[in-house]
Amino acid sequence: MHTLEKQTTVHSTFVIERRYPAAPERVFAAFADPAKKRRWFFEGDHHDVETYELDFRVGGKEQARFRFKEGTPVAGMVCTNDTIYQDIVPNRRVVFAGTMTLEGKCISAGLATIELLPSKLGTDLICTHQGAFFEGADGPEMREAGWRKLLEKLDNEFAK
Amino acid sequence: MLENADSGPMEKKKLNPDRVFHALGDPTRRAILERLSEGPMSVSRLAEPLEMTLAAVVQHLQVLEECGLVQTEKLGRVRTCRIESAGFSFAAQWIADRRTLWERRLDRLGELLAEPEEDSPSGYEWLG
Repeated sequence: MHTLEKQTTVHSTFVIERRYPAAPERVFAAFADPAKKRRWFFEGDHHDVETYELDFRVGGKEQARFRFKEGTPVAGMVCTNDTIYQDIVPNRRVVFAGTMTLEGKCISAGLATIELLPSKLGTDLICTHQGAFFEGADGPEMREAGWRKLLEKLDNEFAK
Repeated sequence: MLENADSGPMEKKKLNPDRVFHALGDPTRRAILERLSEGPMSVSRLAEPLEMTLAAVVQHLQVLEECGLVQTEKLGRVRTCRIESAGFSFAAQWIADRRTLWERRLDRLGELLAEPEEDSPSGYEWLG
């Protein structure tokens, strides 16, 4: 295929498996309960969560807005996560799709599938993330501009 | 930021991942670290099971000491070696920093699930 422009999207899929010594009901509750979900999913050392809303049902929205703290290479910048729940099977499966913005610019879109499998020990969680990363998320341009250091930190903040 | 976090009496050394991971990349040096993690020992005792000259062992120890993975100390005529935590903290932090957002999220989920259950799981029965 010959195109005049360089491709601007990077696609990436990753799978992470975890084993938790907790019943699927408790793991599922960590997704369904807004206070719990906010805590483990959105809060972090490098940013403050400014607003958070979760409407946990199929078609429901989840919106988070956070600002990076001083000391990070993106200090003061605002990041948002907008998610819509695609499928929910209590204690078994949660599927959601969403976009992430940095300073108002969409940097990635992704589909996350969380599968909860009961095990002798508790729960095996399989997280599959399929993403499309745009300018500013993967950052070939930024890397060329010599922002290597910044990118290393960004890689941590934005799942690749 | 964690470099020299626990360098103790050792002079402050600037640790860098190239040197630390190069040091850890050698099977003989890892064997030395495995033995030292059982407890401090003299260089000669450390060298006993290793099929190499004492001089070669000393060279490996120098590499490990420069990276903050081992500390050696001469007491009288005996040089004793022990594990030094600075290099290990540095390596662990480097690896932790490279973990993706999602891995760190799922780590935090594990921490949350490890907490004592404060109430019965609820809040989603209404999903019907």
